[in-house]
Amino acid sequence: MRHVHIATWAGSMLLAAVMAGCGSSPAVDREASTSAIRAAEESGASKVPSASLYLQLAKEGLESAKVLADQGDKEEAESMLERAQADGELAVALSRGDADRTEATQAIERVRKLRQDNQLPQERK
Amino acid sequence: MKTMTYLMSIAFAGLLVGCAATMPPPELVSAREAYQQASTGQAAQLVPAELHKAQEALTLAEKAFQDDPKSFRTRDLAYVADRKAKMAEALATTAAGNAAKAKADKEYQASQTEIVKNSAEQLAVEQKARVEAERKTAEAEANLATLAAVKEEARGLVITLSGSVLFASNKSELLPAAQDRLKQVTDALLATKERRLTIEGHTDALGSSSHNLKLSQDRAESVRSFMISRGYPGELIRAQGMGEDKPVAGNTNAEERANNRRVEIIVDRDTSNQGSMTK
Repeated sequence: MRHVHIATWAGSMLLAAVMAGCGSSPAVDREASTSAIRAAEESGASKVPSASLYLQLAKEGLESAKVLADQGDKEEAESMLERAQADGELAVALSRGDADRTEATQAIERVRKLRQDNQLPQERK
Repeated sequence: MKTMTYLMSIAFAGLLVGCAATMPPPELVSAREAYQQASTGQAAQLVPAELHKAQEALTLAEKAFQDDPKSFRTRDLAYVADRKAKMAEALATTAAGNAAKAKADKEYQASQTEIVKNSAEQLAVEQKARVEAERKTAEAEANLATLAAVKEEARGLVITLSGSVLFASNKSELLPAAQDRLKQVTDALLATKERRLTIEGHTDALGSSSHNLKLSQDRAESVRSFMISRGYPGELIRAQGMGEDKPVAGNTNAEERANNRRVEIIVDRDTSNQGSMTK
């Protein structure tokens, strides 16, 4: 009787292992890449020409990683996720940089106009 | 011979295959270029930590290329290195923009301070000039009072010069003594703000009114010409003969008639002519 229990337990474990191996794709951590893409979208990357390309590439990379994971290529999927994360982070940097540049240009123009309106000499660049 | 050619072809093909195996993937070529561009730009100075990350990523990619040139891992590491180099450059541009903005904000504040300071100085200068002008005006009016009869009227400050002091009987040429008096009057007027003047010639009632009108006009013109010769702007002086129509006394005796024979210089109170005339 004891032997029967052990055999049943062992069989269940084997079945669970087989189910895990064949029934679903290998688990890959997409958190970093999806976070980078979300951050890029929130920073308005889709409206900045230089950033929107990398946001698109990041999304495509994430999709490719899903396909690779579904095919069981876990290592390639994880490697592809690194690409997607790098693209997403670059999109964030470019998007914020664009906003910062706009602010800088406006600040410089504000000074120029103030000095011009008050007939002060313009600062030398 | 055929065997030799065949062997050489094989060897050449092998060489080509060997070269192809060591060719870097496009991702690595791009990463090298991106890092080169970032490291020679302002990233090294403005975002050295980001540039260092890019360098580390490129080193990993180069190592993977040495170990396994054709692997997906080599391409992916190179791809990531390329992005990190581009990010270092983007962050450097952002840092430069932020520095420019900070400088502009600082300049804006400094400019505002400068404007306030200039305004205060300008006000002080104007205040000083106003006080000085008022002092000169008061001084000039005091001087005028010693030279001729001066009276405040609605039409302005009226300086009355006796006709008998200025002209010989029935003449319109200024007497030498009159020129000295008129010179002092003109100098006193020039010392104040230059204002619009009206010179009115008046006669007594002896003789025809048309003759008196012409004589008064000529005398007013003589005074005007003299003042212009002393430097008073001609466009600010108007000469007008009034004849015998505006006596200040009766014409029944010599004293009254002497009072009526006069030249009046009316100084306009309006200072709007200041700065508009040319000397």
